[in-house]
Amino acid sequence: MKLTESMIRDMVKTELSAEQIGDLLTMTGFEIESIEFVDGEPVLDINIMANRGDGASTLGIAREILAKSPESRPTDLYERLVSGYQLGDERTPLAEVVVESGSPDCTRFSARRFKGIVNGDSPDWIQDRLRKVGQRPISLLVDLTNYVMLETGQPMHAYDIAKLGQPKLIARQARPGETVRTLNGQDHKLGEGHLMICDGKRPVGVAGVMGGESTEVDAATTDCLLESAHFDHMAVRKTRKQLGLQTDASYRFERFVDPEGTVRSMNRFADLLHQATGVDPVAGIADDYPTPPKRPTVKVRPSRCSRLLGMDVSSSEVETYLTRLGVSLDPVGDGFQATPPTWRIDLVREDDFVEEVGRIHGYDKIPEALPIGSTPVGGSHGANLAQEIVLKTALACGFDQAINHTMRDLHPLDGGSLRVKVLQPHSPELAHLRGSLLPGLADTALKNGGESVHFFEIGRVFSNGSEWTQLGMLSQGQFDPPSWNRSEDVADFYTLKGAVESVLKALAISVEFSVSKDPRLHPTRQAHVGKFGVMGQIHPAAAEEAGLAPDTFLAEIDLTALVSETSTERHYRQVYRHPAARRDIAVVVPKSVRYADIEGTIAKACGELLEKHWLFDIYDGPGIDPGSQSLAIALQFRKPSNFTDDEANQVRDLAVRALEALGAKLR
Amino acid sequence: MEQIHVLEKAFEEAVQSASSTYELRQIELKYLAKSGELTGLMRGIASLPPDEKPKFGAAVNEARARAQSAYDLRLAQLTEAERSVRFEQDRIDVTLPSRMPRAGREHVLQQTFNKIKRVMGSMGFVYFEGPELEDFKYNFDALNYPPDHPAMDAQDTFYVSDTQVMRTQCTAFQGRLFEQVKPPFRYFTVGRTFRNETVDRTHSHTFHQIDVFMVDEGISMAHLKGTLGAFARQMFGEEVKVRFRPDFFPFVEPGVDYAISTPKLFDGKWVELGGAGLVHPNILERYGIDTEKYSGFAFGLGADRIPMMAYGIDDLRLFLENDKRFLEQFA
Repeated sequence: MKLTESMIRDMVKTELSAEQIGDLLTMTGFEIESIEFVDGEPVLDINIMANRGDGASTLGIAREILAKSPESRPTDLYERLVSGYQLGDERTPLAEVVVESGSPDCTRFSARRFKGIVNGDSPDWIQDRLRKVGQRPISLLVDLTNYVMLETGQPMHAYDIAKLGQPKLIARQARPGETVRTLNGQDHKLGEGHLMICDGKRPVGVAGVMGGESTEVDAATTDCLLESAHFDHMAVRKTRKQLGLQTDASYRFERFVDPEGTVRSMNRFADLLHQATGVDPVAGIADDYPTPPKRPTVKVRPSRCSRLLGMDVSSSEVETYLTRLGVSLDPVGDGFQATPPTWRIDLVREDDFVEEVGRIHGYDKIPEALPIGSTPVGGSHGANLAQEIVLKTALACGFDQAINHTMRDLHPLDGGSLRVKVLQPHSPELAHLRGSLLPGLADTALKNGGESVHFFEIGRVFSNGSEWTQLGMLSQGQFDPPSWNRSEDVADFYTLKGAVESVLKALAISVEFSVSKDPRLHPTRQAHVGKFGVMGQIHPAAAEEAGLAPDTFLAEIDLTALVSETSTERHYRQVYRHPAARRDIAVVVPKSVRYADIEGTIAKACGELLEKHWLFDIYDGPGIDPGSQSLAIALQFRKPSNFTDDEANQVRDLAVRALEALGAKLR
Repeated sequence: MEQIHVLEKAFEEAVQSASSTYELRQIELKYLAKSGELTGLMRGIASLPPDEKPKFGAAVNEARARAQSAYDLRLAQLTEAERSVRFEQDRIDVTLPSRMPRAGREHVLQQTFNKIKRVMGSMGFVYFEGPELEDFKYNFDALNYPPDHPAMDAQDTFYVSDTQVMRTQCTAFQGRLFEQVKPPFRYFTVGRTFRNETVDRTHSHTFHQIDVFMVDEGISMAHLKGTLGAFARQMFGEEVKVRFRPDFFPFVEPGVDYAISTPKLFDGKWVELGGAGLVHPNILERYGIDTEKYSGFAFGLGADRIPMMAYGIDDLRLFLENDKRFLEQFA
């Protein structure tokens, strides 16, 4: 909301400069977005908090300045507005307003009639101020309603009585099928829950939002009915959202307007109209105010103020601050019974008043202290800790971390078909929640040239309404940048498998890699990573579609499941000081035999004597039957005494014999 | 005796003329080794008269000792000379490019998250993660948002269904924890949040937040200020000061907006970081917590802004683009 400096000074006598007023307001919670000079005058753009509709007026802003700056004084205009702005005979109305029963959303409905008007231009000073706050002057009557709203926060609307037919307005619920054309020329279909302002027959305005075109004042208007009402904030918000109409009036009503302010605002309007044209209001105010809202009474204890604010505030300070804000206080026991003013529906419970006390006393006086009491063991535990270990391990394996978007478009690497859709997406490309991290990693690879890229990501993925954490990995090409002194080390299935196994090992989890059938991956070069995921070379079709190199390798692992199975338990195994014995074997086996079975057979045959084993060569060249291959495997034995040659050979022979059962022949 | 003298002289000449350690070792074998000529003189002692034996023996030993030290000296000289030659051959260009061990690079946001975790963890706050696809009730209702309140306008929400939203604030983790734990407690989270905002250099539909809250006996705004101060000083430097300004968030009362200032950053101006306040008593009551005994504080802030401010990054969008040329600058 924008106000000119002069508007504020109309209500507050203060030594403070515009900038100082701005700083003061900022520190009371009404943040100054900017102070701009318009035609040489400072215009303050004030941010109104969602719960402080009372601040959306010069009056409300003045109240805050007066509460926070005791040196400042109210002006006559301020005092007059606060005391109700009596003007002329208010008792015998020459107009009628009716709040139809069953319309609780209209709390109060007031109106006043004006005759003999010439609806020309408004006075220069009003036009000037409206322009400075970014409004367009229209005509005397319209400008006055807009200007008084800036002063008091009360939205008002002027109807042409000649167009209304009679000086009478009715507030009621819309009937099904009714329509109204609003001032901006739009037609609106009305329905249940929409509160309307009507003449005898039809709607002439949407209550609290915008008046109707048919009864609009214009240059020919001489007889006008001014509406000043109070509508429920929730109802106005609902209506303006459904009709897609946001106005200065609805902005204020949905943040709450003081129901006690309807009459003073009309009278202020009348006074300004009189000053401008000499026209007097026709005697009397029509006012239907069926049930004035009840105000709560809340016990406020200075002791609680001090305790929650963390600074000492005395009883008399509490009294001073709250009184300045318009709160009525009755001393009782260890505090006060406090009744908030009619313009503050946000003051409901004791702590709301504590905030008011703190605000006016000054948050800058709050000291810094660290909490004492029971301090838990901070940081990450359990699954969160395990996830951090996964992150560190992936980094240690030489993979760079990527962080990609959650919302994205569909992608050939996004597994599954149960994608979660965003109902009203930011854009069509952001309409789905990712079901896999691989599409994002593919984007990352492409972003970086698509070659020699080794990335991982840890992030949330979604399917059919559920959510879990995934580890995704993508690996292509050389691990190291081109160098003058290094041999090439290029990503393949087994380098990625090594990284995956490192992650599993860090969590003390062992799994089997078994043949899998993921349509995104090369049909004969992919594996299940136990029950936790899948890895392999990208399917050539997916590679083509995604623009990736065909020798790109991918892994996708359910980290939520993985970390739930990790264990921090480790058991020590004795380290023997006796020397190890090594025996190498070369066996020829059919290619159909899985190495996992060979390993398992060796381990079973050698038992505990086998300390470790490793495959150091695969050969299928001349001398080997087609369909077979020769595997060279090193076996390392150790036991708590020295191995003799014979003993080592015996253990080796056990392994060889066991392998023969798999169809292996010693080479 | 004459024999000793002759041999010793011959040895000395040979040693001096040796031009390599290899030659020198041949000379050592010829004269000094077990079967060497000088050593062999001792064998002649048997044929000497008894009174000459000690004198001859002593003379041989002395000659051998002199020869040994002449040899050692020459060996040292030759070794030194030969090494100098080899060192010259070994010479490398130390300015040739290095061979870096391959280490994965941690994303700059992750580095920030790690630092936050270290700082908050060290103050006794336990890390907890809630879902990104969050129930509407945790994102709003449990945080004391009145139904359909203008406060929601500031958080343009992505709906996935009538009851599920992409969380607009990490504060949504509060309700989940309140359901599980009883005070006293301290928790924090770092996570991803979503709002349907226009994307530009400082705004995105996807960003990251830190959210912290605790409930204990006697917690006040001073504890909030102290904790925020300690946190901000760890993140931005020891000279950081914290300022509170009243603001409205439905889940806190009193509610503040906090800013920091430090002479080293932002020209010493106040920079607003986020929202904070005391946990709203409506929330404590909803979860059966006695508001006379317990109070709590909560604060939140944007995580992306931390590296932006610390490193002078001027475009938020860079974080999720994963361009190596960007990421490499920080790891």
